Amino acid sequence: MTTSDRELETLSAIMDGEADELELRRVLDSTSSDPALRARWRRQQMVRELLQTRRVSQPNIEVSSAVTEALAGGKSVYKNPLWSMAVAASVTMAVVLGGQQLLVPNNNAMQGSVISDVVGGVVPVLGAQPVQASLGAKSLPVAARQIDTADNERREVAAMYERLAQDRYRNLGRHHASAAAQTHPAPYISYIRAPAPTGQESALQ
Amino acid sequence: MTASETDQQLVQRAQRGDLRAFDLLVLKYQGRIAALVSRYVSDPSEVEDVTQEAFIKAYRAIDKFRGDSAFYTWLYRIAANAAKNYLVSKRRRPGSDATIEDAEVGSQAALLADVGTPEAVAMGEELAAVVEDALSALPEELQAALTLREFEGLSYDDIAAVLDCPVGTVRSRIFRAREAIDERVKQQMSGESGFR
Repeated sequence: MTTSDRELETLSAIMDGEADELELRRVLDSTSSDPALRARWRRQQMVRELLQTRRVSQPNIEVSSAVTEALAGGKSVYKNPLWSMAVAASVTMAVVLGGQQLLVPNNNAMQGSVISDVVGGVVPVLGAQPVQASLGAKSLPVAARQIDTADNERREVAAMYERLAQDRYRNLGRHHASAAAQTHPAPYISYIRAPAPTGQESALQ
Repeated sequence: MTASETDQQLVQRAQRGDLRAFDLLVLKYQGRIAALVSRYVSDPSEVEDVTQEAFIKAYRAIDKFRGDSAFYTWLYRIAANAAKNYLVSKRRRPGSDATIEDAEVGSQAALLADVGTPEAVAMGEELAAVVEDALSALPEELQAALTLREFEGLSYDDIAAVLDCPVGTVRSRIFRAREAIDERVKQQMSGESGFR
């Protein structure tokens, strides 16, 4: 009897629950690297089902490789792209919602900044609920600590917008210089002038 | 030891993280689980996805399997829930009447119910005829050993007592009987275009 025959006989005994632990371990070592042995195991199970019920369930299905791959690699291989798209969409949604939670200023902390001194007017403030001003044109009493917090956050938001604006100027300058260098016949000075937000002039390369 | 104890042996190894043991369980049950899933989901690619997902969920929860029921019963419950959840996620109403009682051990009705699509039924009938032919063509001593094992469910020790031969001989005869049947089944399957 060859090694392969011995393995196949052991596989048959495993199916009947008549193999010992050592034999089982040996066969498991072989099945992982021998597709023929795995196929044999599968057919044996099918034959048993056929003998006992005269029917076989879904003989053309094969998910074992994908399952092993998903479990070993920690990823799932879906045949239907809609399902993987649904999973991807859920992840994207979670990221977007999480990001919004981080970026939008906390409503409680911003309470002090929505108070308007304009009579009967509504002052739109970023990240805040508009509030109708009182008829007496007097500010509502707001705790100093809340106003400080709101001022800090307002300053941070303003600084962020300033950084974004400067980045945009810089990108615009690069794009302009690059386009001009490709189309202009004469050597071209690659800079533009842009007004600095603080009132001073600057040449952004 | 019985065939369900083989499952238990493989499950215990899978619980210790042996993916190869779980792979044998997947190979053994993938057809029956796919047939169950196809009672809920009609699209073949969706059936494959949900079947795959059911096995992945089963592996991730395998530490919770205590062996109070047969492994297949436990797996059946996971697969039925996976199929129902899939339909809910697709905003479709679960229409199957599959119950956990269907999966209980020894329920031949469950096996008959979970055969899947008409194509699978037709393929199964062809294979059944091939297996029956191969079995009847076996030498008498091989046929007797396999019949006592598959139809009567006798252990190798009991078969050895009935046939008055050593246990090693019983083991060898059953293997040779399966080998002969497998040759015919392999030929049949290689001719089937839908078989993978």
